[in-house]
Amino acid sequence: MADPTALSGALIGAGIALGGGAIGAAVGDGLAGNAAIQGTARQPEMAGRLQTTMFLIVGLCEAMYFINLAFVFVLISQAK
Amino acid sequence: MRLLAEVTATHQDTMEICSGGGFLCTINHNTLISTGVAMLLVLLLGFFVRARINNGKPGSLQMVFEAVLSYARKLTTDNVAEDAEFIVPIAVTIATFILIANWVDFFPLAKPLLPANSDWNLTLAMAIVVFVIVQWYCIKATGIRGFFYRFTKPFDMPIWARIMFLPLNVIEELLKPVTLSLRLFGNILAGAIMVQLLAALPIWASVPALSIWKAFDVFFIGSLQALIFMLLTIIYFGMAREALHAEQHGPAGAAH
Repeated sequence: MADPTALSGALIGAGIALGGGAIGAAVGDGLAGNAAIQGTARQPEMAGRLQTTMFLIVGLCEAMYFINLAFVFVLISQAK
Repeated sequence: MRLLAEVTATHQDTMEICSGGGFLCTINHNTLISTGVAMLLVLLLGFFVRARINNGKPGSLQMVFEAVLSYARKLTTDNVAEDAEFIVPIAVTIATFILIANWVDFFPLAKPLLPANSDWNLTLAMAIVVFVIVQWYCIKATGIRGFFYRFTKPFDMPIWARIMFLPLNVIEELLKPVTLSLRLFGNILAGAIMVQLLAALPIWASVPALSIWKAFDVFFIGSLQALIFMLLTIIYFGMAREALHAEQHGPAGAAH
């Protein structure tokens, strides 16, 4: 029922999109964690506030990856 | 791969309520049910807290709500303005609704009760409401001239460069509700799909994996996304006032 060419294209595109999104989200998370660790090392009394902000930034960074993930599922089901 | 397709195919159940087609005739009844459950819980929680309100000796639930409200109020006065208190109820109501709607997802509900925020229609509707109120507030706070002045954004650049930035600024403004809603929708939909994939594993593997994933997804990501939605709502209100700050520094930012 599904066109095999379209399905294979959708799967390859999904893999590329997920891989690229994972790279970006991981780099963003790493930068946020790096900055939080440096800030905590400089001012340990700020650790609580820095941690809250860090989780916020991590959530914002990972959102892009999750948007990718959701749309990959949608695209694969469209090609099916 | 067959599994993925089945998961996504069963995910959005729709129902035709009238003939003639079109999106007005289609209702996503599982979204309606789960939204209704979440709305009912939010209303019950609100009336419950209101009925037990106590000025001298607040209960624990009242203290939680007071902490959230004062956090939102402090964010608003820091990011927007002292006289923009009307944002606090909007932001906290949306955050509470998203939080409850995400936490209801914790219970192992059957198919008609998928998490409400895993439907883009709901999150986009909330984001569009926020977007419209932000535009209204921008006109109210900075006037119709400030509303248009805001789209020539790098205020300290020469006029020809600012005209070139005009389409970019308009696109940025129009994409705000889209990204705001897609962020929430993508997170919750990915969580729900992950739950369904884990549930398809053999039972000795799926039970521990599901209990870990549900705890992380529902309580951490669900709370984080509610917080982010509230925070970005307030920040968008703050960004609506940036023409005002630029004009205080004189035309074209000469005071920098």
